[in-house]
Amino acid sequence: MSDPTAATGIPSPVPRSRHQRKLSNYLLDKNLQLRYILLVTLLSAAISGALGYMIYDQSRLASESIERDLQVLTVGDTSRQEFTSILAGKDQALVYEMVGLGLGLVVILSAYLVIMTHKVAGPLFKVSNYFEQMAEGRLGPVTPLRRGDMLQDFFGDFKSMHESLRGRAQADAAVMEHAVAALRDARGQVDTAARGPLDNALTALDQLVATRKKQLG
Amino acid sequence: MTKAGDRGYKRSWKNLLINKRYQLRFTLFMVGLSALLMTGLGVWVMWVANETTAVSITSVRGDACPRLPSAESLGAGAGAADGSPPATRPDDPGDDGRRRANVQIDESSMTLTSTLPPDFADRVTAHWACELRQAATFDRLERGRLHILWAMIATGVALVIGLALYGIKMTHRVAGPLFKVSLYLSKMRDGRFDKVYNLRKGDQLVDFYDQFKAAHGGVVAMQHDDIARIAQVIAAADAAGLGQHPAVAELRELSARKEKSVE
Repeated sequence: MSDPTAATGIPSPVPRSRHQRKLSNYLLDKNLQLRYILLVTLLSAAISGALGYMIYDQSRLASESIERDLQVLTVGDTSRQEFTSILAGKDQALVYEMVGLGLGLVVILSAYLVIMTHKVAGPLFKVSNYFEQMAEGRLGPVTPLRRGDMLQDFFGDFKSMHESLRGRAQADAAVMEHAVAALRDARGQVDTAARGPLDNALTALDQLVATRKKQLG
Repeated sequence: MTKAGDRGYKRSWKNLLINKRYQLRFTLFMVGLSALLMTGLGVWVMWVANETTAVSITSVRGDACPRLPSAESLGAGAGAADGSPPATRPDDPGDDGRRRANVQIDESSMTLTSTLPPDFADRVTAHWACELRQAATFDRLERGRLHILWAMIATGVALVIGLALYGIKMTHRVAGPLFKVSLYLSKMRDGRFDKVYNLRKGDQLVDFYDQFKAAHGGVVAMQHDDIARIAQVIAAADAAGLGQHPAVAELRELSARKEKSVE
């Protein structure tokens, strides 16, 4: 998945809450989206092509039949040529109509499918952004999906997990912070020789707590 | 042979519909669109086919069959053999209805003339052969029209069934990984960070799954980091004689919980 925010060069620690659908962002997961779009479009084109050919073939047969009759009825008549060209024009117009209809169908269908698949790729893209942040230990707040997005149940599961992790991490940080403060208070009772390692350990834990707090946003 | 990190999950028809809303929506769209195209264009095909059949039937009817010899032609043909006027029976009333005089014919000079024209049988045969040929043509045209209809219905039904099965199978390759991730998310929500196994062969969302694994790994690394730092503090506190301090007890409890979560 390509990151559409990458081009701006602005780091985004928390995915933006008010994502608007932009034309350039519609193909978020090309592999997933194009596969489905190609399948449905090719299938529709195949059905339309096959049935369109049948329509053309039937129409041509009718024209040929009429032409044969005209040949018998209008021997030496100049109007026959005119009729023949009218019939040929009718068949040609049918081909153009069907090609136009087919192309229109492909364009409209592809556009609709891009929008439809985007409603799946969008939530996946958003969740994968959070996954990237989690990989770096960042557990900032999660914003909801846009209206009309699919995979709401999946996103609900993710949000519930993320909030649980975040809550637990906040609680852990509070416990560690409290422990650091309590042990610093108690260091007066400790031998001078043991103070050094304890101070170092407490400083390290304190830094960890500060990092965790920063990561929690 | 399974690689490390693989689990022997097999696809089964029973659990193909993992995410009904997503899978059915995409499958039904594909099936519905195909059915709509098949129906719409099929009606058009049948309309043109009906027209073509009607034109062909009219064309065939236009080629008139030779007429069956009528009673008049039979009468006319009676004397046609030698070009003489047709013979009349002795008791046949004339044009004016008056009885004609009987004529005595010398038998020795009487010639036999046929009552039917010589091509009568050929003309009758030609007529009925043509009629039968036309009937056969109409039948063939009608069968051709029905053949198109049934071929389209059969193709449409097969297409709908095939597409429905294929659509469900295809969307399952996306819904499967999402389902698997959902199971891990549920475990993570409960504070369990079990080992993450690989996807099955043929599954989609491989990149997405890799990102999930990285996220899972990041959370596990956080836990290990916390455990290591807490262990340092506990060790230093023990060495300093603060092992029984309530804050150290809290840290031990926290560390134990974290260790259990990453087991």
